[in-house]
Amino acid sequence: MEELIEKLKKEVIEQLNLEDLSPDDINPDSPLFGEGLGLDSIDALELIVLLEKNYGIKIEDPKDGKKIFFSIRSMAEYITENKK
Amino acid sequence: MNEKHTPVYINGIGIVSPQKPLRAEGLLTEPVSYHASQLRCPDPGYKEYIPAELIRRMGRIIRMGVTASKICLKDAMIRYSPEHENPINPQAIITGTGLGCIEDTEKFLTSMIKNNEEFLTPTSFIQSTHNTVAGQIALLLKCHSYNFTYVQRGNSFESALIDAITQMKTGEFGNVLVGGFDELTQHSFAIMNRMGFWKRKPIDNLQLLNDHQRGTVAGEGAAFMFLEKQKHSGSYACLRGVEIFHKPASNNDLRHRLNKFLARHDLTEKEIGFTLLGFSGDTATDHFYHELIKSFPENSGFGYFKHLCGEYHTASSFASGLAALIMKSQSIPEIVRLQSAEKNSAPEYILIYNHFRGANHSFTLLSRP
Repeated sequence: MEELIEKLKKEVIEQLNLEDLSPDDINPDSPLFGEGLGLDSIDALELIVLLEKNYGIKIEDPKDGKKIFFSIRSMAEYITENKK
Repeated sequence: MNEKHTPVYINGIGIVSPQKPLRAEGLLTEPVSYHASQLRCPDPGYKEYIPAELIRRMGRIIRMGVTASKICLKDAMIRYSPEHENPINPQAIITGTGLGCIEDTEKFLTSMIKNNEEFLTPTSFIQSTHNTVAGQIALLLKCHSYNFTYVQRGNSFESALIDAITQMKTGEFGNVLVGGFDELTQHSFAIMNRMGFWKRKPIDNLQLLNDHQRGTVAGEGAAFMFLEKQKHSGSYACLRGVEIFHKPASNNDLRHRLNKFLARHDLTEKEIGFTLLGFSGDTATDHFYHELIKSFPENSGFGYFKHLCGEYHTASSFASGLAALIMKSQSIPEIVRLQSAEKNSAPEYILIYNHFRGANHSFTLLSRP
């Protein structure tokens, strides 16, 4: 799990062009949206594409997004449970 | 509409170019030299001008354009929002660009090809339109006024200028933020290279006119001007008029167009103290400039600018900013002069004649404010 979290941090930084952040700056349990990293709805779309492209996971129900993308850890857990 | 009787003043300038920041004081005393086929803009410190949460989504051209516009507004002492209380925003934002946000367009298309039209991400698509820069400036300023972007190849910036002047003269706006911008990318450079636009071997940009290969040196940049009806103590110049035309039919046609343009402003060639020409070092198209020079009396002063910024669709925006800076400084930098014309160092009028690839031609006339 920890290995996946570190990998995800790097992918999120690259995908969202968070150029001032390094993986160490991201707390895996901090919220990604609002407080924490302060991501917005466009970032949410980018993260949905990231899951599909890098892990083959398609989010069928948009309502699940809030829970899945709460933090880096929740993303990692969802990937572990659903990776094909 | 009489072009002569409603003056339009250039009261602020912001330029991001391959040169160091341009100011009237010490103008181009230390021109930057490159040995290259392309001149790119170094980072002027974008983070000083653009909030961190927004800058990450912006491609280079958006950063360049937004930064140039903010330098310009600051220079014009405009109390724009949200950085000032009781802000006064521009009454219009009008821009011109040849290729727009080409880097984001390339990213989006490359991603489509690579991923077989799947997994398309929104950011580069959203930012890829030509009017993104003008839109981002408006969003940053919370400016809901007229916002327009012209895309007309090598006359894009001039089209923006014509709109700005026309709307100010007809009383629609009291001020306008107007700008031109284009960026260089490796893809666009390579494609235009195949079309023979650029010189095959790198050259020293400051020796542009001494190189005899076909093509020119590629460039990029963003230049904004704040236009107002009122003259201020800090006004740079008065923007008298702009004319665009497509491929002149002959040398006579070119000279005739110049003559008519100047006549509309009650001027003749002998009253133009200094003419800034768009010489690009391309032996295939520089003959237009040589022809135009023949229209002027022998002791006229001439200069050029593309050795400083390179060739791009809106290089004339760099020229307009440079001409206004020359007007304010009342001296012509040595690096800009084509001939040592000492007597024309404080011109009353400056004419800019530029064309892009021999197709899109323009005259722009400035006078002392």
